[in-house]
Amino acid sequence: MASSSSSGLTFKLHPLVIVNISDHYTRVKSQMNPPPVTSTSATVNGVEPLQQAPRVYGCVIGVQRGRTVEIFNSFELLYDPSTHSLDRPFLEKKQELYKKVFPHFYILGWYSTGSDAQESDMHIHKALMDINESPLYVLLNPTINPAQKDLPVTIYESELHVIDGIPQLIFVRSSYTIETVEAERISVDHVAHLKPSDGGSAATQLAAHLTGIHSAIKMLNSRIRVLHHHLVGMQKGDVPCENSLLRQVSSLLRRLPAIESEKFQDDFLMEYNDTLLITYLAMFTNCSSTMNELVDKFNTAYDRHSRRGGRTAFI
Amino acid sequence: MNSVEGLVTQIQGLSSTASDVLSLHNVLKQADDSLHAESTRLLPFLDQLDPSKHSLGYLYFLEACTAGPVTTESASSFVLIIARFISSCAAEQIRLAPDKFISVCKRLKDQVLFLEEPLRAVAPMLAAIRKLQSSTENLTTLHPEFLLLCLLAKCYKTGLSILEEDIFEVDQPRDLYLYCYYGGMICIGKKYFRKALELLHNVVTAPMSTINAIAVEAYKKYILVSLIHHGQLSTSLPKYASTVAQRNLKSFCQPYVELANSYTNGKIADLEAYVQANMEKFGSDNNLGLVKQVVSSIYKRNIQRLTQTYLTLSLQDIANTVQLNSPKEAEMHVLQMIQDGEIYATINQKDGMVRFLEDPEQYKTCEMIERVDSSIQRLMTLSKKLTVLDELMSSDPMYLGKVGRERQRFDFDDFDSVPQRFNI
Repeated sequence: MASSSSSGLTFKLHPLVIVNISDHYTRVKSQMNPPPVTSTSATVNGVEPLQQAPRVYGCVIGVQRGRTVEIFNSFELLYDPSTHSLDRPFLEKKQELYKKVFPHFYILGWYSTGSDAQESDMHIHKALMDINESPLYVLLNPTINPAQKDLPVTIYESELHVIDGIPQLIFVRSSYTIETVEAERISVDHVAHLKPSDGGSAATQLAAHLTGIHSAIKMLNSRIRVLHHHLVGMQKGDVPCENSLLRQVSSLLRRLPAIESEKFQDDFLMEYNDTLLITYLAMFTNCSSTMNELVDKFNTAYDRHSRRGGRTAFI
Repeated sequence: MNSVEGLVTQIQGLSSTASDVLSLHNVLKQADDSLHAESTRLLPFLDQLDPSKHSLGYLYFLEACTAGPVTTESASSFVLIIARFISSCAAEQIRLAPDKFISVCKRLKDQVLFLEEPLRAVAPMLAAIRKLQSSTENLTTLHPEFLLLCLLAKCYKTGLSILEEDIFEVDQPRDLYLYCYYGGMICIGKKYFRKALELLHNVVTAPMSTINAIAVEAYKKYILVSLIHHGQLSTSLPKYASTVAQRNLKSFCQPYVELANSYTNGKIADLEAYVQANMEKFGSDNNLGLVKQVVSSIYKRNIQRLTQTYLTLSLQDIANTVQLNSPKEAEMHVLQMIQDGEIYATINQKDGMVRFLEDPEQYKTCEMIERVDSSIQRLMTLSKKLTVLDELMSSDPMYLGKVGRERQRFDFDDFDSVPQRFNI
């Protein structure tokens, strides 16, 4: 089910599709009744609860120009478990509506969630073949894998292969690229920076901003380290000397410092000191408040003649 | 006799590895009484033991030897022996018997005081502190003894080196009071009034269940140093001072409080009259020198007040306002204050005018960055320690027992859900 596609089509995926699929999945999952228990409490009970990751289904639509297939949008569909097929009348109604707004868009295929393409998916795939002779199957893997760096989205095509003498349709993986329009880039950026509950409070915004700067600096640091390591290797003779690389490094180094003057130093140091002083003040306040609490607790616990706060009469 | 020699051989045999030393410790603990009984004859046995290898055994023997009263013939020889022992002993071994070590060092102090040569014990005592401390943040009973010796020997600088370290753990509260009190006196001697104020403040606000004499004496000095350094005395102790101190300290130090009142009024004549009237009271507390410094500091305070009102002033006017005798004296005072960094001014000698300036620090330099940065680092470590302490305190049963009782009740619903007290 895995080998790469040979159809020669280039696929372009828009981020809106990915956001739609993940939104659909998250919504369904959070609406599941009762909500799935966390793993810690599960082990306490000693019984592993049945974690059914729900599968969501839908259609993807877009444009096919020549050999390029561009997937622009998607919408959701209900899956009918009895007939193992998607809700057909609804699909056709939606198709009509979309045709009115986007006359060029065709139904290119369908999407679902899961870790791998399954046999039962072929059934749905074949059902769609009368709308589009070669539909696409977009699969999103909802399990979060922090080690994985790529998007957990795979696009499958169907091909007729001869296996054991029987011609069969199997899924083959295709490569794709992400294509964005300016408006999409802005909205994706916005979605990426959303924080869970109080995204508006100043503290979390400051923390997010500083974390962003921190990771940027960390990346810069690691890149410079790599360069430095390479240059040291070149100096020692382990790595062959590349003049073009050396020229690039030299031009990079000459970009900084941008300004070197007395006035700049003055202003820069003054601003730097101001920030340091503010940090110092913040630390001070933090420390004082901890100390205040500690003193209060100590007085409550150990001072024999402390004020008897006691109970005030309730009104 | 036999038992002592047996002990000597045991010590020589069992002092090599850590587990041997532990078993030796048990043996010595049991033999302690017999050692004390034969204290007069133990001296020659000390030569058979090596202080660096057999530190624990040597310690027990030494402690038994020196337990008797101090006499002139034995004093100087003992001082030498103890000093040599302290410099060569092994720290891990003596930490097994800290109270013996402390009593040996105290005997050292008694002997040098008896001989009236406190300087001889300063260096050994410093070495002893370093060996007994489990870390530089630990306050041992030897710290105040050491500071006392520094005070008596007038070598303040060595005392100051110990005072630089921050203390986080204290063995005995009395150690803390004495340490801060003596430390405050050393700083007063070196005229580091800020640090002296800090140390005396620690004594006065330290947790105490009953009022003690050290706190009273410290409060007297605290009032005087606060007047010299700040020019004013805050009327009430901060809330982290124990309630015992807050209620009672002022009543014990009445003359000083009134001195502070007349100081803040600013009239020099009144102040001097008051000092004259109560001279013997101040003298009996050995605070006369400080009181004189307070009186001389009132001139400085008045000149500083002038900087807030005037931009330029003539020397004659300064002399008149501050009630000095002549413009020459005013010039000397102002010059001294400029040198000490207490005010920023320029004196124009041609027409006798003084112009008061602003603080020229621009906070633009790299040194300032380093200073602020190091302060931030120190604060961060302190903050971590405080959070740990806070958590410890929150789980303290004494605190939890009392906190349930003091809940405010504002609403009818509050009565039902909250337990009256936490029964632990």
